[in-house]
Amino acid sequence: MDPSADNRIVSLEHMAIGYAPEKVLLSEINLSLLPGEMVALVGRNGTGKSTLLRSILGFLPVLGGECLLFGAPADSFDLRRRARVVSYVSSRVPAMPSMSVRELVSLGRMPHTGWAGRQGARDREAVWKAMGELGMEDFADRKVDQLSDGERHRAMIARAMAQETVLMVLDEPTAFLDIPNKYELIRTLGRFRDNGRSVIFSTHDLETAWLWADKFWVIHGSKIVEGAPEDLGIMHVFEHLFADSDITFDPSERRFMPHFVPRGTICLEGEEPLVMYWTRTALERLGYRIDKHSGRATIRVTGRQGEYGWQWITDREEKFFPDIYSLARFLIQAE
Amino acid sequence: MKSPSRSPLIFVLLVLLLVLLFLLDFRLGSIRITFPEMLAHLRGTQLLSHEQLIILKSFRLPRLVTALLAGAALPVCGLQMQTLFRNPLAGPYVLGISSGASFGAAVVVMSVGAGGMVAGWGLALSSWVGAGLVMVLLLVVSFRIRDVMTILILGIMFSSGLNAIISIMQYFSNASALKSFIIWSMGSLGNVTGSQLLIMSGAVIPVLVFTLFYPKMLNGMMLGEEYAMSMGIRVRRSRIIIFATTSILAGTITAFCGPIGFIGIAVPHITRFLLVQTDHRILLPATMITGMVIMLFSDIVSQLPGTDRMLPINAVTSLIGIPVVIWLVILNRKTASF
Repeated sequence: MDPSADNRIVSLEHMAIGYAPEKVLLSEINLSLLPGEMVALVGRNGTGKSTLLRSILGFLPVLGGECLLFGAPADSFDLRRRARVVSYVSSRVPAMPSMSVRELVSLGRMPHTGWAGRQGARDREAVWKAMGELGMEDFADRKVDQLSDGERHRAMIARAMAQETVLMVLDEPTAFLDIPNKYELIRTLGRFRDNGRSVIFSTHDLETAWLWADKFWVIHGSKIVEGAPEDLGIMHVFEHLFADSDITFDPSERRFMPHFVPRGTICLEGEEPLVMYWTRTALERLGYRIDKHSGRATIRVTGRQGEYGWQWITDREEKFFPDIYSLARFLIQAE
Repeated sequence: MKSPSRSPLIFVLLVLLLVLLFLLDFRLGSIRITFPEMLAHLRGTQLLSHEQLIILKSFRLPRLVTALLAGAALPVCGLQMQTLFRNPLAGPYVLGISSGASFGAAVVVMSVGAGGMVAGWGLALSSWVGAGLVMVLLLVVSFRIRDVMTILILGIMFSSGLNAIISIMQYFSNASALKSFIIWSMGSLGNVTGSQLLIMSGAVIPVLVFTLFYPKMLNGMMLGEEYAMSMGIRVRRSRIIIFATTSILAGTITAFCGPIGFIGIAVPHITRFLLVQTDHRILLPATMITGMVIMLFSDIVSQLPGTDRMLPINAVTSLIGIPVVIWLVILNRKTASF
């Protein structure tokens, strides 16, 4: 069925996972990952994202079916051989002794060094390169406990880079990062992928994921499906993802919206696109449906170039507001 | 700030200090004998008196060797426990090893009675068996339990349980047995002689040498067990090696010397602070040397030079260790932090 079946990096066939044989969390998992692919693992809290990642990494036993790495059963690899092909970054930075960033990143060379862990020129080069990838050269001699959370997390990823594996598995790598750091991280992982390596990362951040991931693994209910994010969009997977909550998926905008308490229809008029856009956002947030022609009231945006005003007009009265905030305060109180 | 260049210098200084304290501790005591005098005796150039020889063979050398062994062994246990549990307060006794040893000692002292047993084999042997039983239990537990923190809690609970039993035994024992047990529990470096010393060295030295061969495993454990696995460390096996060596080292030392407090917790911190290092390739040998230095120093202090009285070694090591830990943890949180 898959023409490139032989070079699959990960191939899960009828796999069952869970923390104990009597507590199977997910079964009949059929997924695959090719070289140079970035996969985003998506699903609600507690659906088994971390369990799946841990099972692939060998931290948890596979409870059924097959987990194949490079076509061979994953448990046929001893830990050291596995560590040369798969590296891991957890969602939380672990407690660690006060070491320098260089020492931390050097730990990644462990599967490649001898019994004493002595590092050669090749190892030092890999450590330096990994710190470079994450922009951490200047931090080399800084102690990890003097870094911010984001920087420490980056150092942990540099450590995984230094491991020089074909596959990197990350559990919610973007969870604690601000927006620029998030994009920077995904870009770094993208470079890793562009070198023919593969990435699996779990995330709740769909908006970021579908800008970068080649493929989604989506857990919903007791099933897990894979495909390009767009394929999954066609299959209505995202609509179903949060079906039991009051979040709805808006396919045209590729965004999730909470169900706002409906307040009725309102008519919006005005010229300036930017101001119109933000006014509409505010009205939607308050639960209004926007209509061009009719509504219980009309909001007219006036003015131009930084000097704007908002008019609220009904049959009986008319009010003027200098900003969206005071308009919104009024609408909330009026209803 | 840069550390690699600093380690060799500190190493040399520590070794010099070790030699100095050894020579100083060597000449302390009711009868003056110096190390050069012993060397001269061995060369045959200037013989020691019969009395001096007896003191040397049955008291002074055994005490020094015991101090060196205990000083090297307990901190290595502490270092391993701190790394495995990633907890700066872990020490050689967190797993209940010393409670096991105390239990063994208490059984002998309070059931058989003190008398000749205290100085002889019975006490050491039974507390060794006590420590050994705790070790077996730990290994069984660690095969069945995945989470290392659960094992830590079990160890602490187990040790508290044993201590409770010991206090019941103390409550019902007579005054002389109670005193013998309390004196044992204050620790002593001076009771290990002759074949006991041989047994103790035979158990401790090979294990100490063995620990020097797995720094990589300990380095891998610094980020926790999942990361260790992801970097190719066999976690189960490592945990068993760490438990077994810690039990043998701490159990043996405690069996022969009684519990010796704080050295095991404080020395790894002092070593990390001195060397600004987290690499166990350096930390393991450095911890041994620092431990021996501090143990010799404690031994010198405990003999109250200039008097003919002695302090219990457990009290001295604690009094030296506690301020160091406080200083490191409170005033120097960065380096002591784990």
